Amino acid sequence: MLSERERERYKRQIMLFGDEGQERLKKAHIFIAGAGGLGSPVSLYLAVAGIGTITIVDMDTVDQTNLNRQILHADRDIGRKKAVSAGEKLCAINPDIRVHAIDTRIDEASAARLIGNADGIVDAMDNYPARYLLNDCAVRKKIPLFHGAIRGFYGQATTVLPGKTPCLKCIFPKAPPEEVFPVIGVTAGVIGTVQATEVIKFLLGSGDLLTNRIFVWDGMAGRAEEICAERISCCPACGGLTHETGGRKK
Amino acid sequence: MTVKVRFFARFRELLGTDIPAEPEEGATLLSLVRDLARKRKEGYDAIFDEHGNFHEFVIVMRNGKRVEHGDAAAVRITDGDEIAVFPPVAGG
Repeated sequence: MLSERERERYKRQIMLFGDEGQERLKKAHIFIAGAGGLGSPVSLYLAVAGIGTITIVDMDTVDQTNLNRQILHADRDIGRKKAVSAGEKLCAINPDIRVHAIDTRIDEASAARLIGNADGIVDAMDNYPARYLLNDCAVRKKIPLFHGAIRGFYGQATTVLPGKTPCLKCIFPKAPPEEVFPVIGVTAGVIGTVQATEVIKFLLGSGDLLTNRIFVWDGMAGRAEEICAERISCCPACGGLTHETGGRKK
Repeated sequence: MTVKVRFFARFRELLGTDIPAEPEEGATLLSLVRDLARKRKEGYDAIFDEHGNFHEFVIVMRNGKRVEHGDAAAVRITDGDEIAVFPPVAGG
């Protein structure tokens, strides 16, 4: 049940999807991998939307060079753990939700346990080995994966419903070389907001998800494009998986 | 014949995008992209290795369908084809 306070807080979006939709958001648990450039807008918008439980994981410390884009963190947070900083900001911006901010590395040993039985996994990582790990967990647990990535003024996003739509390995089978990538905060803002929108649509069970296609943003051209994506039958991650995706709250 | 090649992300910075091309009869997907990429060494090196093969992470699509790298030298370009070439964007 929504409290009076919650009904007031979410009044303007309850106009869009009613108490029932807001209840769905409240019952949901979303796992956000990373509290950096993408994790910042994703977590802030999911928090203010009233996602009932948010787990956000990051092992890094806030550095001055993060502050052009990682809007969860302020100048005074330099030197502090990102998880601690993120937990404080998200609780402050919406005390009506539960936030689990965890300072740890997401690796093969910890990923499945950290994700638990979340309703969705948000990929806010900055490298493909970590993304493939999230993808494997999403496929194994049949939890949707909301992918985003940025470089400079370019960004991409797609949504994976394991067993139904192309997974990250189907779309990007090989990781690009690692690099210190140039980036500006507005690109993280665009792509992170697209990812958060996907999470909300999935939980509400409405709208057209970014499945079977990649949303590609070119900020300099001021143009969004789409690229088709298909499942690969011999995909090492999801090949042969046919089950319906679970996790959607009814 | 006229075809269009679309580069994305870093490749777009280096080579431009939505490039109309008029390849000769018999041109293959590999030869077409190589010819266009040769206009700038940095662009070529971003897409191809020292043997002239696509880097393993490069995604190549023809009319919305993925083309395996191993098939690119055999896929004949036909009039109206739209080719997309892009790298996975990695940052977060």
